[in-house]
Amino acid sequence: MSSTTLSLKAVSRRFKDTIALDSLDLDVAQGELVSLLGPSGCGKTTALRIIAGLDQPNSGQVFVGGENISHLPPNKRNMGMVFQSYSLFPNLTAAENVAFGLTMRGEPKRLRVQRSQELLELVGLPKHSKRYPHQLSGGQQQRVALARALAFEPDVLLLDEPLSALDAQVRANLRDEIRALQIKTGTTTIFVTHDQEEAMAMSDRVAVMNQGKISQIAKPDDLYHRPANQFVAGFVGQMNRIPARVNGTELLIAQSTATVHPLSEVNSGEGLALVRPENVVIQSLKGQQVEGNAVVISRAFLGPISKIVMRLEDGSEVSSVMTSAQSTEFLSGDSVRVSVTPGEYLLVEA
Amino acid sequence: MKLFSRRQLPLTLGLVLATIFVVLPLGSAAEFSLREPLKNTHGFDNYTWFFVAPDFAKYLGISFGLALTSALILLVLLVPTVVWLNLGGSKYRGFVEFVSLLPLVIPVVALAIGAQTALPDFAQTNEVILAFMYAVLAVPYAYRTMDTGLRSIPLKTIVEASRGLGATWFHVLFKVIIPVIRSTVLSALFMTLALSLGEFTITSLLHWDTFTTWVTTMSQSNILGAIALSVFSLVSVFVLLLVISVFIRPTKSMVISEEN
Repeated sequence: MSSTTLSLKAVSRRFKDTIALDSLDLDVAQGELVSLLGPSGCGKTTALRIIAGLDQPNSGQVFVGGENISHLPPNKRNMGMVFQSYSLFPNLTAAENVAFGLTMRGEPKRLRVQRSQELLELVGLPKHSKRYPHQLSGGQQQRVALARALAFEPDVLLLDEPLSALDAQVRANLRDEIRALQIKTGTTTIFVTHDQEEAMAMSDRVAVMNQGKISQIAKPDDLYHRPANQFVAGFVGQMNRIPARVNGTELLIAQSTATVHPLSEVNSGEGLALVRPENVVIQSLKGQQVEGNAVVISRAFLGPISKIVMRLEDGSEVSSVMTSAQSTEFLSGDSVRVSVTPGEYLLVEA
Repeated sequence: MKLFSRRQLPLTLGLVLATIFVVLPLGSAAEFSLREPLKNTHGFDNYTWFFVAPDFAKYLGISFGLALTSALILLVLLVPTVVWLNLGGSKYRGFVEFVSLLPLVIPVVALAIGAQTALPDFAQTNEVILAFMYAVLAVPYAYRTMDTGLRSIPLKTIVEASRGLGATWFHVLFKVIIPVIRSTVLSALFMTLALSLGEFTITSLLHWDTFTTWVTTMSQSNILGAIALSVFSLVSVFVLLLVISVFIRPTKSMVISEEN
């Protein structure tokens, strides 16, 4: 495979008064899948379009395999791209669509036919080669688009929210298939999405973007367990915001004490503890000699796990997740005791 | 559909009236052209003379030549313009739409006089000037047809996809966009063809002879023959358009795929 490394160096892009990208740096290793994750308007699609050459940065460079390609038009960049909306050519069959990149590269017909068939088999549509886009479902169209993007062995594969137009079931299946295919072909890939679950499930590393910058780039686990800042903590996964108080080396949180986390932004006084729902521990008061500090508001059954929402004495709401079997003992209106798993929180300024 | 239900009644009435309005004069002309007063019967005598008339083929040829040229001029002028308007030049859309409507607003006489006074001599002495004038007259219709066609497809994505797959702008235009909107381009082309084939005013005012002016001249000496000729050209153009519309079906693919 011709896959290679990709680097962005201090790439900036402004649209009139808005800064879409603010001196963005990104390094992607050969064969790696990096997701650009962020809310709409964070610059992730702009970054992708600049890599593809469909948009020009105001400053900064794009390198592929160490070579500066910033000045090259999109048709000279050798990148495969899959778009959010269906972008197949409606007048060409699936096989002709897949072969389009090879046709543009002047490859002989025999090779084009053979390669498009191979790719269609790879995406699980070997019998659909003669179908036109309007005869394919949304998921099938995106598979063909993926095959089309991979057919000419691109240096880099660019995926611009390719799953967002599909329904949940197809989406989950295709997500796994894309990842399997990416690993199989070893193609360096940039995946743009606003869906954190998608990003976490598919990526080697996830770059969380905010206001034209990368807030944090890390492996999915690290991003989840060790968010670098409040934005990442709030954007990736669910996060409780519990009022807390620092008193020397002691942290008072939900009327329990804990040790202050060494990375805490707050050294004394009032703060906010950011706690994942799975790190909120609930204790039933039944048969226990402890004092309650929260009341259960609701319990939502989510299959293997359930989510319990409680109100603390200060009025703030806290949610906790646990296995559905454990959750059955908590009912709405029950008084419970809430505490936080030691060390598993991030303390920020309120 | 129940044609006579209460809701459909106004539509049905309108349809009937419109049909009468179009069919009655045409039918009458056809009937009239089939009369053979000397034999007091109906027949095709009036239709035979023009096939052998020496100028029939000549003027038909001139008209077709001009019509094809004007269609070509419009294609070259409009396809890139409309593509550009839909890709990035949308802030100029209002201006272009305004300009495209001018041929409808400006009287043809004014256009003809303008051409006579403003165009240089070499343009005045070559009948190709008519092709340009026909193209101008067809702009309001052709522009709108093409614009509607291009708006119905996700043009930007398709262009970007093909650029990303290695297509040059030449390939984008000729291998992607035009094939995708071919039915639209063809409708615009045939609209231009039909308009050019039937154009009389400018041709006559600029003192050129084409099929239409020839028919007009002939009608002064042979009224039945001229009407037969008109009916013949009308029917042939109608058949031509019908054949084309049957062979070139619109690309329905995008419409459906967007719903998926």
